[in-house]
Amino acid sequence: MQIRIQFFSYYRELAGCPETTLEFPEQTELRTAAAQVFQQFPNLAPFHKSTLIAVGYDYVSPEHHLQPGDVISFFPPVQGG
Amino acid sequence: MERELLISVDPIDELELVRNREPGGKAGAAVYFSGIVRDTETNQTILALEYEAFIPMAEHQFRLIFDEIERRWPIFSIRLIHRIGHVPVGECSLWVEVRAGHRAEAFAACQHLIDQMKKVVPIWKKAV
Repeated sequence: MQIRIQFFSYYRELAGCPETTLEFPEQTELRTAAAQVFQQFPNLAPFHKSTLIAVGYDYVSPEHHLQPGDVISFFPPVQGG
Repeated sequence: MERELLISVDPIDELELVRNREPGGKAGAAVYFSGIVRDTETNQTILALEYEAFIPMAEHQFRLIFDEIERRWPIFSIRLIHRIGHVPVGECSLWVEVRAGHRAEAFAACQHLIDQMKKVVPIWKKAV
């Protein structure tokens, strides 16, 4: 299945693009997909521990099974206010 | 609990917002918080902050925080405006009003709202 990946804030510059699409087997866990994203975008890898990852508009567990149509967002710690 | 939420590039008119406060009724407390852009960021003088938001997720996460506040405290209403885009030094980037019967729950809910926002609501800033 194809999964859309979005980057926000300075992650866009680090990734070199605002979004991409990657192919994963159905039921792939979020943590597996995230590891592949960090591998594919090595400039993001040093930040993996502080990276926030959302599926749709929610933070989900690393064991979350991805479904067709899911959109994963990667971004740095938030700074509203 | 009544809710108003707005994420917008428009300047925040604090006086107008306070003027438009709902009549008191049983609300004996209205707590206000204004976040103002400081003139320094990590010891560097700045002119403005540039805010970016993942808007639909930010709205969803604010609503989840409002839901939690409604479960925890007897709050009558929350109004929250977060400005995004270019916000010059000295201008308001965040405005919150929390109304409740008494000050304790109004202060607690307002504090919680802002603390949670800073953990989960996808908004970022960059000094310019």
